[in-house]
Amino acid sequence: MLRNALRKDLLLNARHLWGILPWFVWVAYAMSEPDAGRITAVGAGFIGSLMATTIAAREDKLRTSATLASLPVRRRTLVQARYVVACVVGTATYLVVAAMAAVLPWSVQRAAELFEVKTLLLTVTLASMVIALLMPLVIRFGLLGVVVFLGAFQVLGVVLFVAADFFAARSGVRHVFGAVERGIVSLHAGLGQPGPIVETAVIVGISTWLSFRLSVFLAERRDL
Amino acid sequence: MDPILELRGVTKHYEGFSLRDVSFSLPRGYVCGLIGPNGAGKTTIVKLILGLARVSAGQLRVCGDDPATAEIAVKDRIGFVHEVPTFYDHISVEALASIVRPFYTRWDQPLFDALAREFELPMRTWFGSLSRGTRTKAALALALAHHAELLVLDEPTSGLDPVFRRELLDRLAAYVSDGLASVLFSTHITSDLGRMADYITFIRDGRLVFSSTREEVFARWVVVRGDPGVLDEATRPLFTGVEIGAHAFTGLTDDAPRARTHMAGQDIVIEPATLDDIMCYTGRTC
Repeated sequence: MLRNALRKDLLLNARHLWGILPWFVWVAYAMSEPDAGRITAVGAGFIGSLMATTIAAREDKLRTSATLASLPVRRRTLVQARYVVACVVGTATYLVVAAMAAVLPWSVQRAAELFEVKTLLLTVTLASMVIALLMPLVIRFGLLGVVVFLGAFQVLGVVLFVAADFFAARSGVRHVFGAVERGIVSLHAGLGQPGPIVETAVIVGISTWLSFRLSVFLAERRDL
Repeated sequence: MDPILELRGVTKHYEGFSLRDVSFSLPRGYVCGLIGPNGAGKTTIVKLILGLARVSAGQLRVCGDDPATAEIAVKDRIGFVHEVPTFYDHISVEALASIVRPFYTRWDQPLFDALAREFELPMRTWFGSLSRGTRTKAALALALAHHAELLVLDEPTSGLDPVFRRELLDRLAAYVSDGLASVLFSTHITSDLGRMADYITFIRDGRLVFSSTREEVFARWVVVRGDPGVLDEATRPLFTGVEIGAHAFTGLTDDAPRARTHMAGQDIVIEPATLDDIMCYTGRTC
């Protein structure tokens, strides 16, 4: 039954997922830049997962949730399919970037770099985190959930900039972004060691499991 | 008789609306018309049957199973047509059928193809560009193609032209004729039910007013018209709804023999009530 639900999500949302194509245009350009391979591949995996996570919001927008939930399939399976689709699309986008790195004539990237364990794990970590965080919101609140989530980030950013400007402390904002960047870089570096690999795998596993349980709980209690 | 659908004291609470203590059953091989004004709770009942909403209290059984615990088995035996059939707009009917097909254990592709031909469905046209009537036809073909034992139709005829409405009703009558399948038909267009419904279930303000065979309904419910002067403390309690005009009153009662006895000799006219009369006058007070 999961296979049917998965097939349904992929077929019904193929057009939506093609929306990622403009990202690949930028990726194609970035392949000529030295050291851009890993970051574009990680970003592609992240964006692919993010787009696939919003499938439920799309159903909400098109008012098809009730129709699809009337089919003989458990809501748990529908939720499961969402997580699998997000993983599949994230993996597929990553592989496309890797293929572009290897094939494009102007690419200066080494495709092998993109298959280093630490780069793959960083992609999995970031993609899993966005799925774990966003999926329950999307499933419970649909389109509104996505809009509120993304809107809240926008507002937070604006507030940060205004506050920094007000206190004449733009460097504070730079510190925040700098800290995020350093965090990702150190996570990437650390993922080469067995200890951090295990720790990250445990955190990713637990957060994904909790997110899935929460999503199923919310989906099963949602009146359509 | 073996009920294919059974509701016992079913209650569902929403913010601002509650469906309360609804009980009725539908035997195999019959059509039940679920009638009531807009907002009465018809769609809520449909949603509960399809498992789109959870029952707050009471028992609901479809084909003998509880949809909450036997979700897949129950839905596999139900065909549905929602009020506004909505699927993804950029999917063709053909693609849609290929997506829906694997979910049903008894999907009959030759039957679907035959229905598609009969309904003249444009198989390669995007669902979003189909007319309302064609969407309903497509939804009906999908609902019928897996040999559903219970067809649940939520306002399927609203917005349809009379020709297709007639075709749809004929198709439904034929569908139950083998005595194995049943149809629950929610509508506020009561003329659709006059010909084909075996049972009528009337919901109003979230409560069940009655659920009876069509013959019982038309035998019991009558409309009494006459001079307002005949209405007094003795005769008013006979009516479940009364409308008083300048020169005449119209009263609705579900006890035709009692009305005839009590008002014998008065200047009144007693006529069989139509379903529209029942819906319009129930609870009306002046």
